[in-house]
Amino acid sequence: MPGEERTERWPLVSLLEAPDARASWGPPVTIDLSDARDRDLVQRIRRRDGEAFRGLFGRYAPSAMAIARRVVRQPFLAEEIVQEAFLAVWRNPEGYDQARGSVRAWLMGMVHHRAVDLVRREESQRRRAEESQLTETTVVEDPAAQVVDEIGLPEEREAVRGALAELPPEQRQVIELMYFDGLSQSKIAEKLSLPLGTVKSRTLLGMRRLRGRLAGMER
Amino acid sequence: MRSHEHIEELIAIRAIGGLDAGELDELEREMREHGPDCSECRRLEDEYGEVAGRLAFALEPVAVPDAFAERTIQLALGEREAPARRARGGSLRALIGVAAAFALFAGGWLIGGAVTGDPNVPPDATVVALQGDPGGGTFTAAYQPGQSGLYLLGSNVPALPEDKVYELWLFTGDTPASAVCGTPSEDGSLFEFVDASLEGVGLMAITVESSSCPGAPTTDPIFLGEVTA
Repeated sequence: MPGEERTERWPLVSLLEAPDARASWGPPVTIDLSDARDRDLVQRIRRRDGEAFRGLFGRYAPSAMAIARRVVRQPFLAEEIVQEAFLAVWRNPEGYDQARGSVRAWLMGMVHHRAVDLVRREESQRRRAEESQLTETTVVEDPAAQVVDEIGLPEEREAVRGALAELPPEQRQVIELMYFDGLSQSKIAEKLSLPLGTVKSRTLLGMRRLRGRLAGMER
Repeated sequence: MRSHEHIEELIAIRAIGGLDAGELDELEREMREHGPDCSECRRLEDEYGEVAGRLAFALEPVAVPDAFAERTIQLALGEREAPARRARGGSLRALIGVAAAFALFAGGWLIGGAVTGDPNVPPDATVVALQGDPGGGTFTAAYQPGQSGLYLLGSNVPALPEDKVYELWLFTGDTPASAVCGTPSEDGSLFEFVDASLEGVGLMAITVESSSCPGAPTTDPIFLGEVTA
């Protein structure tokens, strides 16, 4: 199957192998100041403040690029997706509703949605096996800039990785295949030779656990 | 009307991109039945949306090329317009030469990493900003010479009436072949993959056509771009 080819070439490397992924993690991290800063940036973008846009881009483009590349596998397509998402923020900052979630989740959701949309459109015609350009993910190299841009984000990464680490492996597997590899639940059922209902139930159970860990975090 | 547990399952899976088209339709139906004031539905959407957005942070961040960052910021701030020129009037055949001139002189070409400065762009990747209506959004095509397949990406593309689509044509000599039809998403973005050989193709054009996606163009092109092997 095309989907299998894609995954065989890029075998699922559990995110838990990432550095510090199994670092100790305790109760949900309080990151309200971090998101308050983000909300302020969005407010300023609504007033057409270019520096605020630069700030939001500098803070989140590296994470946006990471998820876009992971899903679409092609760096130049990932750039298109990230650019589109940030331009959408600039053009319609009113799209963010503080009552419905954090700025970072809103932004990354847009990036992920676009990436999955691209993969699905491609799938509908032919899944190409051209992932050779995927490079190892690279940590941003400008430590000075990172000090400013990364406020609150290391804690966020630790919390998310911790929440994933806590999932039973079978739940984590389907969620990773779905979210990070852009596979639909039917493709996953096919790939893992599981009934579709099993994939659904594992996904729901895993997402409920993640919701308990992440959605309750202060924004 | 189904239970919230069923809706929750669909919402949770949709949040991380796992639903197929048919299931997306099913979720939409269920949500309509529950109505726009279903607070539980909204809460589930918000909470699973929050989870999905945050999952991105499990990955290590990736260095963003300076040139790309500056290009994006400049685009947003309106300090630099995307290369675009209107192709006016005339038949498709008559515009072939014009398109070639645009490609040569309008600076619409970005050839792989050599120009973008991004070492991650495949060295043989070609990205073409199609030349066209400044008010019609932007269309970009990306392909690797010598390989089949082409990505078409649109941004800020105006919506069309329900019975209309954007259609991409690939020209071999003077002969157009329909490549793909598509309509933009609500946010004006459009992604299409064309599973076709580019051998012998010298020009691509976009027209607005009926949703039947005709086999030959019936309107003038609104965007044009040159293809090099």
